[in-house]
Amino acid sequence: MRLFDGQRAWVVQRISALLLLVLAVLVLPFASPLDFSAWRAFAGGVLGGPLIALLFGALCAHAWVGLRDIVLDYIQPRGLRLAVLSLIAVVLLGVLVRVLLSLAAAALST
Amino acid sequence: MRLDIYRFDPESGAPPRMQAYEVQPEAGDKKLLDLLMRLRVQDDSLSFRRSCREGVCGSDAMNINGRNGLACLTALDGLKEPVMLRPLPGFPVIRDLIVDMTQFFAHYHSIRPWLINDEPLPERERLQTPAERERLDGLYECILCACCSAFCPSYWWNPDKFIGPSGLLQAYRFIADSRDTATAERLDFLDDVYRLYRCRTIMNCTEVCPKGLSPSHAIERIRLALLRRSS
Repeated sequence: MRLFDGQRAWVVQRISALLLLVLAVLVLPFASPLDFSAWRAFAGGVLGGPLIALLFGALCAHAWVGLRDIVLDYIQPRGLRLAVLSLIAVVLLGVLVRVLLSLAAAALST
Repeated sequence: MRLDIYRFDPESGAPPRMQAYEVQPEAGDKKLLDLLMRLRVQDDSLSFRRSCREGVCGSDAMNINGRNGLACLTALDGLKEPVMLRPLPGFPVIRDLIVDMTQFFAHYHSIRPWLINDEPLPERERLQTPAERERLDGLYECILCACCSAFCPSYWWNPDKFIGPSGLLQAYRFIADSRDTATAERLDFLDDVYRLYRCRTIMNCTEVCPKGLSPSHAIERIRLALLRRSS
């Protein structure tokens, strides 16, 4: 199976960009409250939790396609390329897991 | 008129250098190529390609004052002096302004630039409606001069794997052709992270095409055709 190859990556990049625009610019800044405890309740709620998870999912997918494109363009040695791509994948997965764990913790505490 | 021209002779072992020339245009000299032909009389070691001298063969593509173009279509009027002439950027230099086009044409061949149709031959030609024929406008005019591909950063980084704007424009010329029956195979071939999707829509190709074509538009149409097919 060709995961994130050719056209699929191109489509993922565009859909995630749209999601980022809608969620990070048009929805979340207005939907989320400003003080910490209210924000934590929002993040643990049925609306805020999935929205934030979707935002970071789109962010990581978008970052993966974009950074991979840069690596494919500028890093030609195979070993170095694999190392940099692996590092990017680990960091992005780490960010995603960390966000999901925080959201789960917020959901459990409310 | 002053010209600074890139000189390189691999047989001499000397590194490439820029050589200054002074040459006066004479009556009837309208284009840069006219001046280059006059220079050849002065210095017959200066090498460049030319053939039709009217923008049809695509031989005399070079980097003129930092911009790729055809010497035969570049007017002398308005050229900033000294005119800096270099070989097409990103291509291996054979000598002076002559570059090795092997890879460029290998990409062209890879997209199978001919009509594929296994249906039985009609008694006369395969007909098209005027609308179907119109879809080829802006595609068939490409003369393969390589000005676009040699001005494309994505092609500079991955010249061995990215087909490049010229090859992709040619690929779309056959995808768009109503008489061609291999559209699915052509799209399968192009759906690759390198061959098509190295294009970052920088649009240098469209900016620089001496024939006024738009490879970036053709590339967009290929992407949309792929999208339509998979949805």
